[in-house]
Amino acid sequence: MTAASMNPKAARLQKVFPVDLEKFLPERVLKNYGQWVDRKFHGNGIIEHISATGDRIFTVKVGMPPNARISAETLDKFADIADSLGIGAVRVTMAGNLEILTDSLDKALKIKEEVEKMGFPVGGWGRSLWGINSCTAYLTCTTAVVDSPSISKALGDALAPYFKEEALPAKLRIFVSGCPSMCAGGTAIDIAIVGQWGAPPKIREEVIGMCLPPPKALAKIPETQIFLVQVCPTGALTLRREGDKVKLTLIGEKCINCARCKENCDAFDYDPENVGVAILVGGKLSNTGSGPRLARVLVPWLPAIPPKYEEIVAVVKHVVEVWRQNAKPGERLADFIDRVGWSKFLEMVGLKEVHDYYQRVPEFARTFLAFRGRGDVYKRLRDAL
Amino acid sequence: MSAPANLPPKEELLNRAEEILKQLEGGPWPSHVSELRKTRYPLHVYGVGLVARKSPWGPAAVKVEFLNTGVLSRWARDWVPGGGSEVHFRVFHTPGKFLRTDFLRKITKISRELGVGLIELVGQTGALVLNLTPETAEAMVDALREIGTDVGGSGDAIRALNACVGPALCEFALYDTLKWYAEFYKDKRVNDNIVTPSYPYKFKVKFSGCPLDCARAQRGDIGFIGVWEGAPEVDQELLGKKIEAGEVDPEKLAANCPSGAITWDKEKKELRIDGTRCKKSMHCIRAAFPAIKPGKKRKVAVVVGGGSKGRFGPKLGWFIGYLEPDQVKDAIDLTFKVIGPWEAEAQPKYRLGDYIMHLGLDKFIEKAGIKLEGMPVSTAKMPDEVPYAVLPKEVRERFLSFAQQLKGRV
Ligand code: SF4
Ligand code: SF4
Ligand code: SF4
Repeated sequence: MTAASMNPKAARLQKVFPVDLEKFLPERVLKNYGQWVDRKFHGNGIIEHISATGDRIFTVKVGMPPNARISAETLDKFADIADSLGIGAVRVTMAGNLEILTDSLDKALKIKEEVEKMGFPVGGWGRSLWGINSCTAYLTCTTAVVDSPSISKALGDALAPYFKEEALPAKLRIFVSGCPSMCAGGTAIDIAIVGQWGAPPKIREEVIGMCLPPPKALAKIPETQIFLVQVCPTGALTLRREGDKVKLTLIGEKCINCARCKENCDAFDYDPENVGVAILVGGKLSNTGSGPRLARVLVPWLPAIPPKYEEIVAVVKHVVEVWRQNAKPGERLADFIDRVGWSKFLEMVGLKEVHDYYQRVPEFARTFLAFRGRGDVYKRLRDAL
Repeated sequence: MSAPANLPPKEELLNRAEEILKQLEGGPWPSHVSELRKTRYPLHVYGVGLVARKSPWGPAAVKVEFLNTGVLSRWARDWVPGGGSEVHFRVFHTPGKFLRTDFLRKITKISRELGVGLIELVGQTGALVLNLTPETAEAMVDALREIGTDVGGSGDAIRALNACVGPALCEFALYDTLKWYAEFYKDKRVNDNIVTPSYPYKFKVKFSGCPLDCARAQRGDIGFIGVWEGAPEVDQELLGKKIEAGEVDPEKLAANCPSGAITWDKEKKELRIDGTRCKKSMHCIRAAFPAIKPGKKRKVAVVVGGGSKGRFGPKLGWFIGYLEPDQVKDAIDLTFKVIGPWEAEAQPKYRLGDYIMHLGLDKFIEKAGIKLEGMPVSTAKMPDEVPYAVLPKEVRERFLSFAQQLKGRV
């Protein structure tokens, strides 16, 4: 027997996956599994599913705090509501909303009342704000550049009416990520906000050794075998010989601020003075309208100043307003931009300063173009700001 | 990360942190800070980060025996007065992310007794995230396993699977996403590659029941999306009723179809849909459900190579063909076929999509030995926009023979 098989804890190598529908699905859901035939909306935040058996389930969508962070204490209160007014179950959505399930419209409306008393908004679905996804950032993340939960809070405060009752032309979703890793869900969304350093990172010489082979080995191993060199997509990280020492060097002109180095090694640092966010618009994942696509950069950099983030909030509110005033009913931001055209959209937004690098380069070629000696890209970006 | 310049002295720093935290508790949107206050999370660390405008956390290394993925730990940076630590588990979510109150109370109990009373309801991998302390880590894994779930899904491994709610609570589900989700988890290969990180980068598997793509399958390394063949099914009689009741405007329905597949015959009061043109946008279906429904012949579209992170930036997946709704076993085999060449050849920190870009989708499909129904004839995502390239003789000859075939015909 191996050591591992003698240790009872080795049982942990076989995971316990929660896959048993009988155990995890509410009874009423199980009974009507696959038999749903119709749906009705009852204002923002309440949807009714009708089964072929005649059963109904009403779902009340509750907006959660940024990053779907909630205390066990509050969650227990939601469980109480689900027991007293619902069918003893809730559901979590990918947008980080909490849905409370019940069996009549009356009870659904009571749930809404109770939840609102607790200070949580009910809304989403149809032509409204469906939610704001935020990554964890300063709450736990070591690579975070800006704090997405507090940015999300500021945006939620500004856009709350569109979640609760005010109509938008169509569905709106916002993803806020603290750095280019984009853990809030990437950029295939109506509005994406992504934190970034604004300037190439600085190598902390005193700790970079942690992420490199020992100095003697470093002098012998081919550059292409060095992990950090492999990780950098543009060749901005290279080895340079200084006297008899070999050093990892960062060529600022080649850096595109993708943050992959930082993600893989803690020895990269930045100056908060340069930090900001990019705002992207017009992406989506669903196949509606003209299909899924990534968002485009509208504003490549804005400062992120807690706790109000006034600059970011102002731009987002303005974009939503332009869309609200000019879109046809049912037209998502992406489809609206498609119809009027990107230049016309920029004109409507009133933005003259556009960095064309981001627009002309086809997505798959970005890196290769950067390889082809586009050393001026970075400089042009800074100048444009 | 080093201390930011001009950080105020300790007392003032903590006061300013508290001030910012207080400001984040006002306003109409629910506040994460108010929730954090009800827990044992070290809130001052977060506050100091906001003053410094730098993440206050550095990597730590809390280890749990026989748990290689799903545990993440941090220490407060040395410039945070009072210090602090943060440890969390990524816990597998329930199917469809339904939480029966009995199960939910078990989770909150574990969180209160073995954790710090703080929960992230869903992370972007689709996991339930529970904060804890290093001392209780061992006990918490066992407690979670006891109630029927587990910890895992981080690092360069298969991440937590993600499925939309599917037939459990959605009229549009075109295949049983939750069954596929369960079957994938039950496969030993899936288990083993969740347990041990050994891939070039992370790998995400996602299941969406219809083209609305609620599980974000377009963004997975491999995604399965329910579709139908041909035109949506129209119940003319029911549609007629809906039109009379003013619920549906047939002219608008036709005008808003993004592929121009719909025509409305005013005389006969009949709505016709051209199945060859329909792009499965779901528009007419959502607007006139259940008078218009997805077609009866169902398929599962497979997309590969999507993702937000990666060497070549964010990308959406490439469509590579169809499976049948009952082909979940084949889907699992396909997943490992897709993983094969990537695992063997990709450089570190290349997502599958990066590797495919590098290799070209055609070559990748050939290498992986993938054969699917409805594979696109040309698998290139976009044609090249650069009018020069170094081309091997065979490639040049392929284009020549294309032209020669045409010469005879035109
Ligand atoms: S997006 Fe960046 S800041 Fe946010 S959690 Fe991911 S790595 Fe951290
Ligand atoms: S940010 Fe990206 S491009 Fe710049 S040095 Fe780091 S890995 Fe290279
Ligand atoms: S599903 Fe979309 S593309 Fe197909 S007919 Fe309906 S509206 Fe047109």
